Amino acid sequence: MAALARALPAPPVQRPRVLMIGTAFATAGTLMYFVTLLAVYLERRAEALASGDVWLPEGVEVPLTQPNVMLFTLIASAVTIQWAVWAISRDDRLNTYLSLGLTIVFGVAFINMASYLYTIMQFDIGANPQSVLVYAITGGHLVMLVVAMIFTGLMAFRALGGQQSSRQHDGISAAALFWHANVVVFAVIWYAIYVTK
Amino acid sequence: MAITETRPETVTEHVNPWDTGEIYPSFAQTIGSGDHKTLGRLYVGLALIFGVAAWALTALSSANGVPDDGFLPDDAVFQVYTSGRVTLVLLAVLPLLIGLATYVVPLQVGASTVAFPRAAAAALWTWLVGAVMILAGYATNGGPGGGGRNAVDLTYLGMAAAIVALLLATVCVLTTIVTLRTPGMSLDRVPLFSWSMFVGGSLWMLTLPGLLANLTLVYLDHHYGLPSDFGMADGQWPQLSWAFGQPQVFAYAIPVLGVIGDLVTTMAGTRQRRRGLVLVGTGLLGVLSFGVYAQPFFNEQVREQALYVGTGVLVLLPLLLCFSAWATTMSVRPRITAASIAGLGAALGLLAGGLASALFVIEPLRLQETSAFADGLLVLVVGSTALGGLAGLLFWAPKIWGRFAGEGAGKLAALAGIGGVFLGGLPLCVLGFATRFDALADAEAALLAVAALGGVLLLLATVLTAVALLTARRGDTVAADAWGTGQTLEWLAPSPPPPGNFGQLPVVSSPEPLLDSAETEEAA
Repeated sequence: MAALARALPAPPVQRPRVLMIGTAFATAGTLMYFVTLLAVYLERRAEALASGDVWLPEGVEVPLTQPNVMLFTLIASAVTIQWAVWAISRDDRLNTYLSLGLTIVFGVAFINMASYLYTIMQFDIGANPQSVLVYAITGGHLVMLVVAMIFTGLMAFRALGGQQSSRQHDGISAAALFWHANVVVFAVIWYAIYVTK
Repeated sequence: MAITETRPETVTEHVNPWDTGEIYPSFAQTIGSGDHKTLGRLYVGLALIFGVAAWALTALSSANGVPDDGFLPDDAVFQVYTSGRVTLVLLAVLPLLIGLATYVVPLQVGASTVAFPRAAAAALWTWLVGAVMILAGYATNGGPGGGGRNAVDLTYLGMAAAIVALLLATVCVLTTIVTLRTPGMSLDRVPLFSWSMFVGGSLWMLTLPGLLANLTLVYLDHHYGLPSDFGMADGQWPQLSWAFGQPQVFAYAIPVLGVIGDLVTTMAGTRQRRRGLVLVGTGLLGVLSFGVYAQPFFNEQVREQALYVGTGVLVLLPLLLCFSAWATTMSVRPRITAASIAGLGAALGLLAGGLASALFVIEPLRLQETSAFADGLLVLVVGSTALGGLAGLLFWAPKIWGRFAGEGAGKLAALAGIGGVFLGGLPLCVLGFATRFDALADAEAALLAVAALGGVLLLLATVLTAVALLTARRGDTVAADAWGTGQTLEWLAPSPPPPGNFGQLPVVSSPEPLLDSAETEEAA
């Protein structure tokens, strides 16, 4: 009996998932921010098209290659952060660090590609009405990504410090929730702004 | 690799900084505190100060219409108008309710602290910085439609900071309600104020980010030389005004239903009858007050749509549900105190606001053609919300300060508040009918003068409440259950509660755990 008891894993810690719930509320608020911005964008775009105008001003090129790469980068990062949740719930610490590190690298790669996209779009923020909306939405998403990266990095350090384990991995799960929301927001931006133009 | 592959055996024990026992100077203790009680007191104190400014600006705006050509410079009239509304909602009413919730909600749910205490502290100080930026912006010719370019930007940055901070504070309160409830306290057993904060806070989380999005567009457009129409001087406020109009204003009032509910049961000394109606009514008001879609700037037909009209009329329903439940509870003769008078006034004001809302959305009445009726609706609802917040302060004063608030000053505050809500709101509502009745247009100056008097009375109510709370410091210290008829867990903690709030709590088996234990003792 004693041997059986030793073989069984310790039960999960019964404690409220404070960070997870707090992050869920914050994520809901963040999503509403983008819902409002995208609603204004789509409404303005529909208005312009209905009146027979084109939406994007002349001279502005919005390529699809870079946004595609950015989307796939974020989808890959969604996989890696879920990998981190899977790994920490099995106390696989090496895979946890590797996956969290990769997630942050993907985030940096996304920012790098976004800044390159801004340079080739030639979309001067002060030159036309559309640019204000495009920069508000895409810039807002970049801010959300930076927050998600800081959150994930902080949880990575907590994991290094031993505060995350299979018995308690609320922090990494919460960071993953916010990261997934960030990916969803970009997927909508990708379709609404870069694909439909 | 060995270091990282194995979880460190010793994890640093988390110690709350206010529990270390180290003695810091009181100033450092205050500004460095993450204790929900200190933060709650700071919110309340600052909100009362900003409340005085807000009602002064609201009264000034109405009074300016009394003389034919006004006494304010032409370019300042609109800034005084908008600053009154912005200050009232973002710097006075919401912070007052959040401050009350930050103090009371952890006690009501039996928690030792608010969730994320450092985030709660960061929210308070960020909100204060935002408030200073807003006021500095307005003082230097900023605000919506203002003339100073940098000052306008400063105002918007301040508003954004204040909104982000209030949202962060709301997350802390909501997470406390969801995750830190004591054993046995299911969500349907939480005290009414905590339930109303759960509903109201959720609504704020879903709607205020929309206002933040509007602010982002206005700020970017204005800052980068107006490439679009978002930042145009005459287009800025119309994009933001939905947050100060029907139905969004009711979202700010939701916690007041909880204040009144807890007040009614405690003063009546009996359990809330038809408690389910109050819970459903509060939730329904939350659903109906979702206002982020109602932006006429982007959708000119929104006020003619069935959703807007329907919610505007139906908003009366949850208020009536709550009223019916309170009325049956009050059939046991309640105690008449300053808090209960203020609570009654807030309830009647909200009912008047609900009626005004139902009238406002009926298009043939043409009440939407001028701003007068909408302004009256705002004063009725937000004034009642402020009065409800003051009622909450007077009610929980013994728990917050360890002494009863001065009853004389409190009753004067309650009466001034009731007068202020109705005198400030109803004349403007009446003036809204001037599009149909020419005689009312002739009485405009008199109606505006009465409305200005209402604003002054609400200012006076705020000052008198502060006086009542300040005089509380001189009274006798009170027992844990200061009213003697407390039903919820906050009345089990000492007044004021020590760090950690409670010792060992019993498992809760109903929404009124203190009555349960009293009845068990009687039976024994």
